[in-house]
Amino acid sequence: METSIHRYLENIDFALDHNRNQYHSTAVLDRLSSLDLPANSRIVALTEKDLFIPILTHVYGEAELGGVSCIVSSSRLKDDLPAIERDKLLGNRIIKEILHELGHTFHLLHCRDKSCLMHYCRSIRDVDRKVMGMCRYCSILLEDQLKRG
Amino acid sequence: MPKTKILIVDDELIMRESLGGWLERDGYEVHKAASGEEALELIRNIRFDVLLVDIKMNGMSGIDLLKEVKSSDPDAAVVMITAYGSISSSIEAMKLGAQDYLLKPFDPNELGVLIEKILESRAKTLENLYLRDQYRERTRFESMIGQSPRMQEIFNLIEDISPIDSTVLITGETGTGKGLAAKAIHTQSPRCEGPFMGINCGAIPEHLMESELFGYQKGAFTDAKENKKGKLELANGGTLFLDEIGEISMRMQIDLLRVLEDRVFYRVGGTQPIESDFRIIAATNMDIETAIKKGQFREDLYYRLNVISFKMPPLRERKEDIPLLAKQFLFRFSQEMNREVNRIDRDTMDEMMLYEWPGNIRELENAVERAVVVCKSDSIIPGDLPIFSPELREQPLSGTLMEVEKEHIRKTLDSNDWNISRSAKALGIDRSTLYSKIKKYGLSGNG
Repeated sequence: METSIHRYLENIDFALDHNRNQYHSTAVLDRLSSLDLPANSRIVALTEKDLFIPILTHVYGEAELGGVSCIVSSSRLKDDLPAIERDKLLGNRIIKEILHELGHTFHLLHCRDKSCLMHYCRSIRDVDRKVMGMCRYCSILLEDQLKRG
Repeated sequence: MPKTKILIVDDELIMRESLGGWLERDGYEVHKAASGEEALELIRNIRFDVLLVDIKMNGMSGIDLLKEVKSSDPDAAVVMITAYGSISSSIEAMKLGAQDYLLKPFDPNELGVLIEKILESRAKTLENLYLRDQYRERTRFESMIGQSPRMQEIFNLIEDISPIDSTVLITGETGTGKGLAAKAIHTQSPRCEGPFMGINCGAIPEHLMESELFGYQKGAFTDAKENKKGKLELANGGTLFLDEIGEISMRMQIDLLRVLEDRVFYRVGGTQPIESDFRIIAATNMDIETAIKKGQFREDLYYRLNVISFKMPPLRERKEDIPLLAKQFLFRFSQEMNREVNRIDRDTMDEMMLYEWPGNIRELENAVERAVVVCKSDSIIPGDLPIFSPELREQPLSGTLMEVEKEHIRKTLDSNDWNISRSAKALGIDRSTLYSKIKKYGLSGNG
């Protein structure tokens, strides 16, 4: 898989909700999906801003189910970092959440296996508990989706 | 098992969309309504497992919707969503039977835990109904008869394929005797000394399916007090019959495929691989090829199962077997009920031959059973089979809509031997709706 880094959006201020002082993740996804992207590509946005969807207090990230774009926020992933190996742990959390959101763009749903990347994390502890990989079911379902193109 | 259905009722599009998207990623089937009136329209046709209702809406309020829902379905699980400052309305909603309320915006954790709690209690009810279903399945008729050319073909085919150890897929409408054909293959196979383990994939709640098939180790989950062998293990040396295979979840399809490929599996919570030697016979009344196109059934599993396949003919295509079957049932039921009913008169038989029998052999079996009960002489007359009586057939329906619905559901359940999946299909509703109506009308398999 080819990966590249682009600066498509200068900022996400257009998604700021002044009352909540948070950024509406769906609005960012809409903007990303309107970009002219190469076929079969996915786009992952990474931000330090705190994200929300209207009904929930916060989200770590959001993705278009079976779509092309997803976004992850590092804002709450910085919670409860230990004194040692902070950067490594934060990096792992961010990668896990990016892979989780990317999984959604390939139609994967939340998984009940707590160690699977597609498990929905309700707390930062849940994120740390996940391993850097998908369970057998999700791996097979992802392979199916990749075969379908 | 079908997906859990959730209905979101909110007049704000953005709330419906954001909550809906979030729940869809959790694997739920989400429906949305922009008003109480629209919600009631949806509820008429679909039974939802959970309703998430905004209290403050234009037109019909969330509280009014809650009252309406509860009056027609007291077991409906309704969670009220409310903005800060409307706590008093939420308390009123709880008094009216709402399951709980959420203050928006809510923490994702709160909603997840709440939905899981509701589904857990619902699963317990399903489990009880499943156990009853299983009991009735064991008491079904055991013979397989037919003189028609169609059935002779089937008998020859069964004789040919029985000695081969290949997987068999039996298709055909509900009530055509797919289970009996599977049993016949087992009985004539070299595995006949071994067990014949049947499992109805459509009747088992998803959370039970895994432990039912694979068994579990002590301590694998709260109720696993001791080790339990699953059907795969119990079928060692014999045949495993997977009825209604089209109903299994994608996850179970992955597991089954692996078992078919490796012949090795693990108990739930177990680490030791278990080997079991069995032949698989699967059956379905579903059009699996269409399900594959829709992404609901794995193509690789289908090809693994479909090594040898044949279709059981519907009763309307082998009407010449009706007299033989009817007499067989008459003999059995009159013996069982200790009643001296020993013949079916000519008019009754004519009616039987004219009827199309959409429920196939099972419907015929139930009709004869009922006739033996109500028959006032030694011979069954058309009046003993009310569904064939022209007078009764043309009689307008009487009673309230609810009474008519109750009676129709009861008849359908009876004619499908109280198999929930088949009855739900015949009624054109989903299984959870049927469970809810059974509970609502207090119906039971014992009359």
